[in-house]
Amino acid sequence: MRAAVDAPVILEGRGLTMRFGGLVAMAEVDFTLRKGEILGIIGPNGAGKSTLLNIVTGLYRPSSGEVRLEGERINGLPAHRIVAKGIARTFQSSRLFGDLSVLDNVVIGRHVHMRCGLLDAILRRGRAEAELREAARRAAELLEAVSRTLYAQRHRPAAELPQADRRRLEIARALASEPKVLLLDEPSSGMDDADTDALMADIRAIRAARPELALMIIEHDMRLVASLPNRVLVLDYGQKLADGLYEEVRLIPRVQEAYLGRKAAQHARP
Amino acid sequence: MSASKLRHPAVAAPRAIALVAAIEAAGALFLRQFLLAEDGRLVVALLALFGAALVTMQRRPALEARIEAAFADQARFATGLGLVLVLLFPFVLEKSTYALHLLVIGQLYAVLALALNFQLGSANIPNFATGASYGIGAYASALLALNWDVSFWLALPAAAIVATIFGFLLGVPSMRTRDSYLALVTIAFGVVIHQLLNNLEFTGGPNGLVGIPAPELFGHSFAAPLVILGHDLPSQANFYYLSAVLVGIAILFARRVHDSRVGLAWNALRADELAARCQGINATWYKVLAFAVDAFLAGFAGTIYAFYVGFISPDNFTFLVSVTIMTMVIAGGMDNTLGVIVGAFLLTLLPEKLRAFSDYRILFFGVTVIAFLMIRPQGLFPQRLRRYGA
Repeated sequence: MRAAVDAPVILEGRGLTMRFGGLVAMAEVDFTLRKGEILGIIGPNGAGKSTLLNIVTGLYRPSSGEVRLEGERINGLPAHRIVAKGIARTFQSSRLFGDLSVLDNVVIGRHVHMRCGLLDAILRRGRAEAELREAARRAAELLEAVSRTLYAQRHRPAAELPQADRRRLEIARALASEPKVLLLDEPSSGMDDADTDALMADIRAIRAARPELALMIIEHDMRLVASLPNRVLVLDYGQKLADGLYEEVRLIPRVQEAYLGRKAAQHARP
Repeated sequence: MSASKLRHPAVAAPRAIALVAAIEAAGALFLRQFLLAEDGRLVVALLALFGAALVTMQRRPALEARIEAAFADQARFATGLGLVLVLLFPFVLEKSTYALHLLVIGQLYAVLALALNFQLGSANIPNFATGASYGIGAYASALLALNWDVSFWLALPAAAIVATIFGFLLGVPSMRTRDSYLALVTIAFGVVIHQLLNNLEFTGGPNGLVGIPAPELFGHSFAAPLVILGHDLPSQANFYYLSAVLVGIAILFARRVHDSRVGLAWNALRADELAARCQGINATWYKVLAFAVDAFLAGFAGTIYAFYVGFISPDNFTFLVSVTIMTMVIAGGMDNTLGVIVGAFLLTLLPEKLRAFSDYRILFFGVTVIAFLMIRPQGLFPQRLRRYGA
């Protein structure tokens, strides 16, 4: 499962720049993501990690530069179209549909795979219901595969779930759209070590079941960054500092400075 | 929600049938007594009874769950018995034209509340223009009938389509705003429609439109008394049955849409719009769609109203009508079909039955909204989680 160096590129960004008024949140960032690869994105707060995710998922339109999914330009498309093209994401602060059941959250994740509109619902009820029931069946299957505990709670409102299960449900909901690329925004934030271990096991299991799936993970937890990603991309002040294997990247002085501060970094150097 | 509520407790079939029958009969009896009550003290006593029933349900979730399970298991029987009760109801009203009139208005408001529920309840779009759509439907059909002799049955769908077009017209610019600003846009739309109706030449200005002919069906005029099997019913009974059919259609609409991809998408937008967009939901389209559905049903209700009273003026369709409809949805229960209908009936009948409320109608609605939002924000009948048969 290691190195996916010769797998084809599935997602790439070229010269991505994001300006909010006079503030440059991201400047000329390039990145590539290959099929089956896990790319970690690290950097201090305000480095532009979330901005990058928001650009890729269509929530922001980059001021310049482009994003290509399997060679097709996707920047400029609205967020809901980008999901249909095969990019799904989770959020740093859990954004579940709290007053709906756990199962419904995953069924909504299958939205792009359902076709029935309002007129179908009213005039062709059988078709609309069959479609929804099929989506519910698949959603239940997915839930069961992702986590037995979630599956057992599938008829509870999502808001009642404990934190670790909420994060799992977000991942399940994102997987329901059967994406080619999955973006995880700080999946371990607010988790203790045991929960983070469970999360890493989950991600590994998801990957094992979907060898083609490419992942981009924004992460602060260095334990996770050290063990999961094939490659890491370091951002600081909206610019790319480094891109490579974790073991190599972490030795780069500028990366250490960005993380630890100049003095501490000098101190840490052998 | 407690675990006991999720598991449907097993209820034996005969007992479930008896329970369903008892509750529906009690509901019908209650409504009859309420409609025919003349004495203010009796009305208050009946209200107290209703309140006590609600408190009991709130205090004893097990009982509520059992009733729910009985209705779920015997859905066919419940629907059938409900239909029979609706059909027979006019016969037990002692030929009171007033009671029938209240029922017609109550049912029209039930349709309006169900229409608004698609927006406010399902998708959390605060639309204060349902009254305007209601007016557009009424005026469109009345103008068709008065100027071109279009029959009621053709004017009905035509007016609904006109109202829907206006719904789209309102929906599209509204999409540039959200929350309170969206509410402001819809309020402005309602005011503009009211002003237009008041000032335009062809809508009759403040005098409105008069002499809208009563509908006819197979030679029977809706203005004539209805004779069924030798029983004479006042002419209002025609419109009672007509609006009952419309309520039935609205319920069917509501349930089918709720149990479809569209209802789910609206619920997702209600919970978290950004997350919904990131699940592939086209937020703009689904919101505009909610505006259109609301206007479509409101247009139907407006047409029946215009042909029922035979005279409409701009003051029938003010901002306050929209506020009333919104109060019904909030009090009845967001995204719960039964709750919204109960809310509509309750808030139609109360001001009519209690003079004290009638004089302070707006104050009463205001207090109702505040009280519900503070004490029971989910409304009388809260929304239910979907179950998918399993």
